[in-house]
Amino acid sequence: MSATTTGIATGVAARIRHRVPFVEGAALAVAVVVVAMAAVGPLVAPHDPYAVNLTDALLPPSAEHWFGTDANGRDVLSRVLHGARVTLPATLVVIAASTVIGVLIGTVAALGGKVVDEVLMRITDIGLSLPAIILALGLSAALGPGLSSAVIALSVTWWPGYARLARTLVREVKDAEYVDAARVLGVPQGRLIFRHILPNALNTLYVQTTVDVGAVMLVISGLSFIGVGAQVPSAEWGAMIAGEANNLTNAWWAVAFPGLALLLTALAFNLVGDWLRVRNDPTIRREAR
Amino acid sequence: MSTDPLLRVRDLRVSYPTPAGPAQVVHGVDLDLAPGERVALVGESGSGKSVTARAVLRLDPDARLSGRIELEGVDLLKLPPRRMREIRGGRVGLVFQDPLASLNPVMTIGRQVMQPLLIRGVPRKVARRRAVDLLERLGVRDAEHRADDYPHQFSGGMRQRVVIAIAVIAEPALLIADEPTTALDVRVQARVLELLRELADERGMSILLITHDLGIVAGFAQRAVVMRHGRPVETGTVEQIYTAPRDPYTKALLAAVPRIGGDVTRPLAVIGAAGEEKEGS
Repeated sequence: MSATTTGIATGVAARIRHRVPFVEGAALAVAVVVVAMAAVGPLVAPHDPYAVNLTDALLPPSAEHWFGTDANGRDVLSRVLHGARVTLPATLVVIAASTVIGVLIGTVAALGGKVVDEVLMRITDIGLSLPAIILALGLSAALGPGLSSAVIALSVTWWPGYARLARTLVREVKDAEYVDAARVLGVPQGRLIFRHILPNALNTLYVQTTVDVGAVMLVISGLSFIGVGAQVPSAEWGAMIAGEANNLTNAWWAVAFPGLALLLTALAFNLVGDWLRVRNDPTIRREAR
Repeated sequence: MSTDPLLRVRDLRVSYPTPAGPAQVVHGVDLDLAPGERVALVGESGSGKSVTARAVLRLDPDARLSGRIELEGVDLLKLPPRRMREIRGGRVGLVFQDPLASLNPVMTIGRQVMQPLLIRGVPRKVARRRAVDLLERLGVRDAEHRADDYPHQFSGGMRQRVVIAIAVIAEPALLIADEPTTALDVRVQARVLELLRELADERGMSILLITHDLGIVAGFAQRAVVMRHGRPVETGTVEQIYTAPRDPYTKALLAAVPRIGGDVTRPLAVIGAAGEEKEGS
């Protein structure tokens, strides 16, 4: 943990030294804080996020309740801290699942024959032609509302973009001279794909996935807000906003703080994605040294 | 040839399928390489010299090959793909033209040099030792540390040494060098060719050098084959080709080599009749 922290600190320092906007360093810091919240949030939360106390309902921010309380008298700060634990893992599961499916289908399409490519890409096109949020809405409604339904629905709808991207990237790299050179050395097909083609092809895809963390998070919270994702008592950020939206005029804090958490997290991951691209690409890294 | 040749190519024909029917680009090449011998395959762009060299390793899946290509008595055109893979990089190494494009940008130099050994089951430590020693032998300073660098951290000449190291680490009997010095400046060119010759002598390795540059053939190869339009037009020792070329094309090619003290205002000789030229290589 300390090694990573030091590494990040040096990274941030290097950014500033090279007069790259400070924003990226700040974004990384926010992302780290959110991950830390997901890890230790419940331990540092001052109150029980689910304890209803109607006498303390809708209290404005104070020393006792930094972010105020919601309509049921629950501490908003504690709920926001818990929310990281709900929203972030759900998002990562969606990203991981759709990356695996997308890369698999994209790679098979790019390296397989013409027929395989056609069939897989037409299926992908069907997936792409349906707006992800509408499809996810229908699917999670059909599966029964709940966070796991939202996660399954989103995973099913999110992969086509990755499949397209992975196919294009793999096609580009598979004819590169160094892949040819490796083939000339007698490198077997499997090693060729996993050591030479994929590592070079997927650099761009990693960036896309990190950028997508923000987008997926928003959709999950959006689905929860509409009512087909996480259900109301849950401390999921979207569900919290949905639950307190009626009190927005007289108790802004119950909506604003989870909203702010959502906004900052999505933004932070977007920026970190961009930063990772620079770090992962050896040719750009040289210039940054 | 008194001894058995290492490589014997007989009546090699290469064609590519096109929508308008097969297009033949190599029309019957014969070639012999004795063990330890250095032969240059010379010709202008589009003469079929690269296609011929690539055909020896069956590198183009689209190419239709006919004739015989015998390496150590085995006809490569009849080998199943698995055996062919063992030949590539094992018995025959290939040095590419562009040293940057033929290195994997996200793999360290050391790993890339080790790879031909690793896929043949050599333990990692042994492979690493041999890779570092070979890089050192090829003039990469501080190879122990530089092996952990990435290709972009190497200069053009150093990258070509790495590419050569990759091609020869599995100790092939034959090295095919496809325009290995075209991307390099003249001084680095000379050094790289010298290294290739030293390696060949040390290991008894044969070299087939593909080039359009008659200037580098003289000091490097023992014999040369001049190709044009997919046919060999002249074969002989380098001395004979330089001092007594028989074919008019070879004469024209030699006349096109710029010379110090030559009349620079003289227009270059026009090679071949108009309309006979073809595109592609």
